[in-house]
Amino acid sequence: MLGQLITSGVSTGALYALTAIAVVVVFRNTRTINLAQGDFSMIAAFIAVMLLKSGFSYSQALACTVAFTILLGILVERLVMRPIADADWLTLFTATLGVYYIMHGIAGWLWGRDTKAFPYTFDPTPVHTFGTVISVGHLLNIGWAAAIGAVLFVFFKFTKQGVAMRAVTDDPETARLMGIPVRFIVLLTWGMAGFLGAFAGILLAPILYVSPQMMDEVLVKGYVAAVFGGLYSIPGAIIGALMIGVAENLAGGYLGSHYKTATAFVMIVVLLALRPQGLFGIQKRREI
Amino acid sequence: MANILHCANISVKFGGVIANDNVSLRIEEGKVIGLIGPNGAGKTTLFNVLSKFQQYDTGHVYMHGKLIDSKGPSDMIGLGIARTFQNINLFSELTTLDNILLGAHRLTGNPIANMYSFKSARKRERKLVERAGEIASMLGISDELDVVVKHLPYGIQKRVEIARALAGDPKIILLDEPVAGCNDEETAELREVIRKVNRDLSITILMVEHDMSLVMSVCDYIFVLNFGSNLAEGTPAQIRTNPEVIKAYLGQEVEP
Amino acid sequence: MVNKTSMSRKSVEVTNHAAMTKLKRRFSSQNAGLILLMFFILLALPFIPGFKPWMANQLSLVLVYVIAAQGISILTGYTGLVSVGHGGFLAIGAYTSALLVKYTGVDIAIAIVASACMAGAFGFMLGLVFLRLSGPFLAIGTLGFAFFIGTLINNVPFFEGREGISLPVNKFMGVVLSDVSFYFLGLGFFALVTLFIFSFVRSSVGRSLMALRDAEKAAQSCGVNRFFYRMLAFTVSATITGAAGALSGFSVRYVSAEVYSDIWYSVDILVAVIVGGSAMMMGPIVGGTFVALLPFLLETLADLSFILKGLILIAVLIFAPAGICELIARPFQRWRQLQIESVGKETLVNAPSAVMHQH
Repeated sequence: MLGQLITSGVSTGALYALTAIAVVVVFRNTRTINLAQGDFSMIAAFIAVMLLKSGFSYSQALACTVAFTILLGILVERLVMRPIADADWLTLFTATLGVYYIMHGIAGWLWGRDTKAFPYTFDPTPVHTFGTVISVGHLLNIGWAAAIGAVLFVFFKFTKQGVAMRAVTDDPETARLMGIPVRFIVLLTWGMAGFLGAFAGILLAPILYVSPQMMDEVLVKGYVAAVFGGLYSIPGAIIGALMIGVAENLAGGYLGSHYKTATAFVMIVVLLALRPQGLFGIQKRREI
Repeated sequence: MANILHCANISVKFGGVIANDNVSLRIEEGKVIGLIGPNGAGKTTLFNVLSKFQQYDTGHVYMHGKLIDSKGPSDMIGLGIARTFQNINLFSELTTLDNILLGAHRLTGNPIANMYSFKSARKRERKLVERAGEIASMLGISDELDVVVKHLPYGIQKRVEIARALAGDPKIILLDEPVAGCNDEETAELREVIRKVNRDLSITILMVEHDMSLVMSVCDYIFVLNFGSNLAEGTPAQIRTNPEVIKAYLGQEVEP
Repeated sequence: MVNKTSMSRKSVEVTNHAAMTKLKRRFSSQNAGLILLMFFILLALPFIPGFKPWMANQLSLVLVYVIAAQGISILTGYTGLVSVGHGGFLAIGAYTSALLVKYTGVDIAIAIVASACMAGAFGFMLGLVFLRLSGPFLAIGTLGFAFFIGTLINNVPFFEGREGISLPVNKFMGVVLSDVSFYFLGLGFFALVTLFIFSFVRSSVGRSLMALRDAEKAAQSCGVNRFFYRMLAFTVSATITGAAGALSGFSVRYVSAEVYSDIWYSVDILVAVIVGGSAMMMGPIVGGTFVALLPFLLETLADLSFILKGLILIAVLIFAPAGICELIARPFQRWRQLQIESVGKETLVNAPSAVMHQH
């Protein structure tokens, strides 16, 4: 049972990581705490359900949904975030809250507020490895997350846009002076948030079932994971997400399912109380 | 005359950068002391060390000979040390009166009583308002007492900052580039204010400044920093002709 | 020999001072007058023909949001520290009251005061733990606190969270309160809190908090101890919101974990002051009313109310980032500033002739 709890924890943790990474990237490029990240996933899940029900194949639905959600991210950046781009962090945060409300309202209005099942299941034959049982679904989640992680790694390290984005993260003023199109990078950032959100939503849909509120808890867990990386480090966020996935599964298995949700919160309170800069966060200069 | 404030062997490192390297400075009571040096000499860092806004790696700071290393920035006015800020750091949404009253914060008494506006609190507040009026009058800003400071011209704002520093009844005021951004007229006015505060109110002054004419005309004694360490010290006449100082500012030997 | 210039300058200052004091008194009474007018209207509402008792219940609920918003305004508006966890104090207030009344049968006014103090104690402890964090991290910490309280009341049997606590009729000074009289009691607490905030903001404490908010280093150089004042702000803020929580429990006489562990209260309380204005007397009142009434205005189209809430929120952030009340008040404040500036100029012009006449 322990093995199963752990593998299933790693699998969900990998999906939480997608949300956590999106949150980190948006925050460090634009100082915005994006509350709407979960809803990118939620809308993606609904769109995927719609497409699957209309007869699209899984891969077709996936591709279309991802494309749509990227555009959604860009739309949010242009309409909502750009007019307030220079505001303080509370204003930026509250704007994403506004987007959250709007997306929830639209989803509820278009598709109703009750939960729906995801109309696609994978081959349920479990795979036996390492002495435990892993389902194909788990393997696929971990697989996708790892693949996306690899793509991001390559992106940030080797592509022009990725390096430019790291420059903007580090010092937007200097980046601008060096001719880096900061506005475009911000656009790219929000597109990336949509991209990651889409995958998180489609992959989590079979587990969480599809409803407007499906991603609410995941969003919070994504943030807790992101804080493990000081809201700055992607590897930190990934590790945090995996830790949350495993810890909550263990808590749920051994203490009871009511304690599952609380695990992330206990972790964050303990973390912030003991190590405010996150496990991997940056040390600030010692000025009073 | 005793030293009202002095520091010894102050070193401050930021990662690889050494901002202050074994710096010492003495401020004699009742005098106007200048702290000068080229850009990047570590004057601002030392200034922040003296006002306890900057932690230091080695060295000690003393007031009247007593160690004050453990004190924090909000303890300083209680010791009698006030400071101003470069480019003004007023409470821009508040009035001149409120800014001065904040300078007198340490005289406001029990915060709990003040919160509920008990009679004793109201009485004390009235006294403080009166006193603020006197200080404003002395600096010529009485007419601006109820104006929100962000609407005031730069020169007047400078005087409000000094009024705020005076409000806490300090024994020494640390002035951070008091005439930065001022034109000749404003500089001349502030020169008079500084003289008045030092002579009529017997308040010691430490001034970090780039404006040499002000420093030379007002200071009794000057300390020069360069590249984070002490370079020279002396009276204005001595500093003016010190070849090391000239070299530091101009980068080369100058014919005397 | 009399120095005419210095004499005229002195009398200018004296006349100036008198005129300014008169002007400031006028502004003060205008402010107070506006608030008194609002109270009058609120008191008169139940006497308007067509008023039904369930409306009193509704108004009490609005009062809860308003007082909770007033609580958060101390921390977020005047001190500049964002909290996304004030729902936790609401829950603490509600549960302390509910348990007190159920098991000891005390007068609800006493229960409300006790709950406020309990919430204040929690606020104090929260401050100790989280105040060293900066902006967004502090906010996340407070959110964690709200979740923690929610989980606590849901899972610890002492709080009877799942079944909920049903309360008997509200007893105040031995008298059983109807919905309308409970509303008046609520108004009483609202008046007390408003009076307190009025005094608080004008006191040295309010001044110090705003100084810390606007120019922290300058405030410290004036002797304002950042830690002490922030702790004070946290505690006072929690106390007020705790009182609101107690009122909320009594207004429906039922306290359950399902309601009070909902994070959205914390968000709503913050939204209330962002929309209404966090650093003004009327801000929490306008904002709290907006947040309380919106779901009711669009009861049949709940989804639409969500969309509208989001749109209004974004619109406020783009066009009135300091809140609706700040936007409305701006022309009045500018007018007042001009009046103040002109007093100075006027007496300067008139004074010399006045002096000459005396000769």
